[in-house]
Amino acid sequence: MNDYQYDNGTVKGFIVSSIFWGVVGIIVGLWISIQMWSPAWNIPPYFTFGRLRVVHTNGLALGLGVGAIFGICYYITMRLTKRPLLFPRLARFHLYLFNAAITLAALSLFAGMNQSLEYAELEWPLDIGVVVLWVIFAVNIFGTIIKRKEEQMYISLWFILATVVTVAVLYIVNNLAVPASLFKSYSIFAGVNSANVQWWYGHNAVGFIFTTPILAMFYYFLPKSTGLPIYSHRLSIVAFWSLVFAYLWTGAHHLVYTPLPDWIQTLGIAFTIFLIAPSWGSVVNGFYTVGADWSQMRNNYLTKFFILGITFYGLQTIQGPTQGLRIVSQLIHYTDWVPGHVHMGTMGWVTMTVAASIYYIIPKIYNTEIHSVKVANAHFYLVLTGQLIFSITMWFTGIQQGALWKATNPDGTLKYTFMEGLIKNYPFWQMRTVGGLIFTVGMLFFIYNIYMTVRKGKALAASSI
Amino acid sequence: MINDTDNLEAFEAKETVNKLPVSWLILFWGLILWGIYYFVSYTPSISGWSQEKAYEESIRK
Repeated sequence: MNDYQYDNGTVKGFIVSSIFWGVVGIIVGLWISIQMWSPAWNIPPYFTFGRLRVVHTNGLALGLGVGAIFGICYYITMRLTKRPLLFPRLARFHLYLFNAAITLAALSLFAGMNQSLEYAELEWPLDIGVVVLWVIFAVNIFGTIIKRKEEQMYISLWFILATVVTVAVLYIVNNLAVPASLFKSYSIFAGVNSANVQWWYGHNAVGFIFTTPILAMFYYFLPKSTGLPIYSHRLSIVAFWSLVFAYLWTGAHHLVYTPLPDWIQTLGIAFTIFLIAPSWGSVVNGFYTVGADWSQMRNNYLTKFFILGITFYGLQTIQGPTQGLRIVSQLIHYTDWVPGHVHMGTMGWVTMTVAASIYYIIPKIYNTEIHSVKVANAHFYLVLTGQLIFSITMWFTGIQQGALWKATNPDGTLKYTFMEGLIKNYPFWQMRTVGGLIFTVGMLFFIYNIYMTVRKGKALAASSI
Repeated sequence: MINDTDNLEAFEAKETVNKLPVSWLILFWGLILWGIYYFVSYTPSISGWSQEKAYEESIRK
């Protein structure tokens, strides 16, 4: 009995830490969105766009994303295996080490230490730290699943296992480097090889940080919070195996029209388009599940989060593969369309699903109810509005940018200078900051709601003793 | 205290547990066929297409 309480404490620790790093990451995100249209907001040397941007991406992907994944995966694994974690003290140490690593990561990025590989910026000593963190996570997840008290393995456990295995492989391979000093190293890959490995890594970081663990949460918390069983278990399993099989081939779609050999690009694009099917397997499964009782969308505040989340996942997994096609890539690649695409995934699908999972977990751990459904609803509509403004403004300006860059005079010279294209972005970039502000206010509602629920739960626990 | 141990029965619908929607199966197999077509058509050593040739053709127009 006490084991669960101790493990719940670890889960709670990860959730609180991830929210903390989320706040840091979102504030920095707002800041750099302003820097895009007002250069005066750059404060050298530590607070320039080049440094803040990596603090934003790492803070949210590693701090908010991976932090929440660690905590919520522990929570799900314990419940599906019907036992406490195999190594509870190791999990607690994992929590402390996680926060120490993220703190050092943020400081090193502010200091300008950077491997210059996107999403793999951290220098080699921190890479070793990340690997240690991941090994601890793997040992606990695998150990708990091997010693499970429930023979059947629900789909969420498969998604968690895929996350643990794949991220380990990706992270180690792309970070292989020869150290030159404590703060500087050189990648063992160069040129086209480096680009190919980097985008195999970069794309699958999206696949195995922003997709598989989030699907584990979706498949677990959707039936838990609605009381509706998943429509088809077989569909979830077929979608799982085809997703993990196809994902690892797709990275080359980031390198369309580059010196990467044509056949690798083509193979990457073919697998990318195929990926629509397994992704939509989960989308269809989610819709059919709630299709058994659509009134849940009105009566149960959590259903909205999960269904809108999976809808954005569905939109993302059509938009993304389409972008991989040569004909589309030549228009929108390197434009602001791309951050628009990414943020529909992170702000729409990932953050919504993670927030809803946390709304479910915190009252359960404290044996109480959520502080306010009204505040949760306000949070929902604010983050939805903010995210839509972000994505839509970036679609517009991305297509505009691409068209301006491609426009040529009859003699082949460029029709527009770079500056002319840049100036046309400003109104959209300013609107994006407004969208970001609305999203941030929504997240503050979320944090307030969680804080008040924890307070209520603590008071309840104190009075029952 | 764990107040929500899971009963797997409650997670999986009974009548539809083994169903794969036909529309989804069409999508699944359709995209595999399309992938084969695309790979054959745009791989230089199979179809003769190449990025270089496609580019030269586009500027000749």
